[in-house]
Amino acid sequence: MNLALVSRLAWRDLRSGEMGLLLVALLVAVGTVTSISLFVDRLQGALVQESSNFLAADRQISSSQAIPDDFFLRAQSKGLETAQTLVFQSMIYGGDNNQLVSVKAVDEAYPLRGELIVADQPFADGYPINGVPAPGEIWLDSRLFPALGVSLGEAVEVGMASLRIGGVLVAEPDRGGSMFDLGPRLLMNLQDVPATEVVQPGSRLSYRMLLAGDNDELETLKEALPLQPNYRWASIRESSSSIGNALDRAESFLLLGGLLGVLLAGVAVGLSAHRYAQRHFDHVGVLKTLGATPGQILRGFMGLLLLVGSVAILLGLAAGGLLHLAIVEVLAQFLPVALPVPGLRPFVLGAVTGLICALAFAMPAFVHLKNVAPMRVIRRDLGVTPLSRWVSYGAAAIGSLVLLVWYTNNLWLTFWALAGAVVVITVFGFVAYWLLRGGRVAGMQAKSGWRLALSGLQRRRQENTAQILIFGLAIMLLLVLVLIRTALIEEWRSQIPENAANHFVMNIGMDEVDGVGELIEEFATQGEFLYPTIRGRIVAINDLDAKAWRAQKPQVRRRMSSERNLTWMRTLPGNNALTEGEWWDVGDARPQVSLEQEYAQEMGLTVGDNMTFDIGGQRIDAVVSSMRTLQWESLSPNFFIIFSPAALEEFPATYMTSFFLEPENKSFLNTLLSQYPTITVIEIDSVIEQVQTIINQVTQAVELILVLVLFSGCLVLIASIQASRDARMSELALVRALGGTRRLIAGSLTGEFLILGAFAGVVAVMGAEVTVAALQTQVFELSASVHPWIWLLGPLCGALIITVVGLLGSRSLLDSPPMNVLRGLN
Amino acid sequence: MNSDLPMSRIVVSAEGVTKVVPTAAGQLVILDGIDLEINAGESVAIVGASGSGKTTLLGILAGLDAATEGAVRLVDADLSRLDEEARALVRGQYMGFVFQSFQLLGSLTALENVMLPVELRGDRMAADQARQLLTKVGLQERVDHYPRQLSGGEQQRVAIARAFASNPKVLFADEPTGNLDTQTGEVICQLLFELNQEFGTTLILVTHDRGLAERCDRTIAIAGGKVAL
Repeated sequence: MNLALVSRLAWRDLRSGEMGLLLVALLVAVGTVTSISLFVDRLQGALVQESSNFLAADRQISSSQAIPDDFFLRAQSKGLETAQTLVFQSMIYGGDNNQLVSVKAVDEAYPLRGELIVADQPFADGYPINGVPAPGEIWLDSRLFPALGVSLGEAVEVGMASLRIGGVLVAEPDRGGSMFDLGPRLLMNLQDVPATEVVQPGSRLSYRMLLAGDNDELETLKEALPLQPNYRWASIRESSSSIGNALDRAESFLLLGGLLGVLLAGVAVGLSAHRYAQRHFDHVGVLKTLGATPGQILRGFMGLLLLVGSVAILLGLAAGGLLHLAIVEVLAQFLPVALPVPGLRPFVLGAVTGLICALAFAMPAFVHLKNVAPMRVIRRDLGVTPLSRWVSYGAAAIGSLVLLVWYTNNLWLTFWALAGAVVVITVFGFVAYWLLRGGRVAGMQAKSGWRLALSGLQRRRQENTAQILIFGLAIMLLLVLVLIRTALIEEWRSQIPENAANHFVMNIGMDEVDGVGELIEEFATQGEFLYPTIRGRIVAINDLDAKAWRAQKPQVRRRMSSERNLTWMRTLPGNNALTEGEWWDVGDARPQVSLEQEYAQEMGLTVGDNMTFDIGGQRIDAVVSSMRTLQWESLSPNFFIIFSPAALEEFPATYMTSFFLEPENKSFLNTLLSQYPTITVIEIDSVIEQVQTIINQVTQAVELILVLVLFSGCLVLIASIQASRDARMSELALVRALGGTRRLIAGSLTGEFLILGAFAGVVAVMGAEVTVAALQTQVFELSASVHPWIWLLGPLCGALIITVVGLLGSRSLLDSPPMNVLRGLN
Repeated sequence: MNSDLPMSRIVVSAEGVTKVVPTAAGQLVILDGIDLEINAGESVAIVGASGSGKTTLLGILAGLDAATEGAVRLVDADLSRLDEEARALVRGQYMGFVFQSFQLLGSLTALENVMLPVELRGDRMAADQARQLLTKVGLQERVDHYPRQLSGGEQQRVAIARAFASNPKVLFADEPTGNLDTQTGEVICQLLFELNQEFGTTLILVTHDRGLAERCDRTIAIAGGKVAL
């Protein structure tokens, strides 16, 4: 067939609606993938950007030593932006008061990501500002103003320098980068640091080099710099594990969503192509009798598919682009920052998806048309040898695999999603078949409408088994997505519950514990714990001097003998889990310690080792009795070393507690600190707020993708009902012609769809549970869970949705004379 | 129109044509060594009871189906030696068809259906020519109608116009009046013979209709898969 004829046939098929569903299915495949990838691409960019604000950069190098100039030169030669910060603690003086503050000195380029927020008055609302304090000027946290008794424009002494208060600092992007940065913040210009003379040999300093720019260049720089052993390289994923995890999981979820969207669209394309081919058997038979050769038929229908595919791809790309713009528009107020400009990749992805869908899902049915025997035109009873299932399923499986691997770049995710689908298809094929058999027994006693429905289901048992599988697969994929989404969001929310403690208080003397507690009760919400802390250091292990032990164990990189916070506890804290050994009984008199697992590994310690500590000049021995893992995401204090009460109970300790403070009550800190000047308050409220903002945005993204994929799912349901429509319609049209009332037909259709839907729901729920459990444990690193509610909801929703969609698709049968229906089918 | 063919030249011949199909109960012999020859311009009716194998014979003579054994020649082509690809070319070049169930393409208008065989051959057919054919069958007012908008008789008239559009040497007709009432059947029959006469086509038809068979030059009766004598 020549091209002109092919295009005319395509046009006529389109005009008569024959090609409509295939075109729409392909269009939706391309449109869904394009819009999801466009959105995900831009959102991922935006999320990474937003998270980068957390570092005030894309990458960070930190050290207790000054960063060499060479590092800056190398970074700048690669076209990267750089900035530098220096954080140290210092006592500052203003008027007659003094206060321990955390000083951050920054250069003019700071911050590279995010922005500084300042206010005109202490405790006033802030606004973003470009720039940093000028030389000779400082910006202070609001609460330092009453604490020092100073106001804007006055001078404060920092070391040997006298600096003017030029502003009120409300927030800085990388405040969370060093959570246990003690004390309120003072921001100053890096150029003023030498004049303060506070930086002396032995001072505790934290130098940071901030980097921003092209991702590849950043990674090359990482490889090129001599970082070990003194300089630590950090990206957002390493520096904040809770955000890093949330981002990783959100990315996996968005990919999973996109992947399911592709699969569902592929199934819809396959179904509509098969229906199109089936409806063209006679058509091809006639063409063949009129002299069309199998080669011509093949070329003609391939041309037709290519033509429709191209049109669908072009329309799909445009629709995907528009859809994503609409999503961005609708969500503009929720979305973080301005989204970066999308690349070409989403469009290429959309176009290739369309092409692969057409080739893998639609082509086998089209190729098969060339095998239609011309004899069929005079012998209608001559069936067409069915398309080999191996060919059609094989092509679909290969197509899915290619698409999924290419789309996700994640073999595991693809593997688990496909494994879920294969399990459902094989195992639940039998379940569906068995359910239908069961239906026949029930049908014997049923009334007419139901009997008709059940006999219809029986007669086309093979087709109906396939249909239950397809419905089931679509519902299952949607359930999987909903369940995983719920699990992820719950997991994120549980990390930082509302009203989680946002301030820690340390250095509370034993005689101050009650007083501090009462004050907190009055103005804030007391946190869950009160830990004793005692400073001490390790002096020996298994009677070997700490230095000798370190020399013996090459893996020990930490300085063992540096002083650290120790504590004792009766019970295992909530965020800890034992991995080895046993927790002590409350009454156990033997001195014991429990160690954090990784810390113990680094120190070369195992259960049963004997550790000797020096606490205030007194030596005490304790046996390592257990190992623990910690939840670093939990934002609660974690201890590497915990003693049994018997070991440390008698030692004088200071205490540590936490509380939740409403933002508007921030000045309570001054009351607290003025009454108890020796205690230390650590503010983590800004960290928590930042983490919550990012998690909320990720959650919204996840929900959006869910809606898009739900749309693909509905399309599959419509395509599947359409695919079986002809057989169902011709039978019922006959019943109608023989005098079946509208009510009988409607009842029969309703019955058939209700049963199909409910069975599909059962199949879907079984498959979803298996797949979700696998995904949760293998991909998302969550614990598996069973969801009893879906066992009721799945079949109910399946029955409802399929009945509604099915009845809408079959209403022409109810509303038009049977003769028209029968003629239309022929 | 096919005046270059001498009247006595054989256009269709079958020699020992046998068709056997496998069934659950074993091999079923539908045609059992059929021999026949049909001359150019001749009109032949193949008659027989239901299940006698007459439709199968028509399918094999027209190259729609392959014989299990035996040879079939059509004009100068040995159909039994050709594959489906080549048989299709022979059909496009020499044959026209009229079917009991009309077999128009539902997505094409009457005019487009008539133009289809010529387009398939890769030639261009003027729409005027197709219109003339539709006028000959009395459907000049309905050229742009779709098959579903036409009655059975009208659909069969479009099918006849289509059959003659490619100027075939042999026209195969399978129960052309089988789906029509007597009166309409008579009109269609009339039309078929008139056009056959006008185009000088060889006509081979399968029918139950005794009247239709009697209008043909010759009748071949099939019984039990053999030519009844």
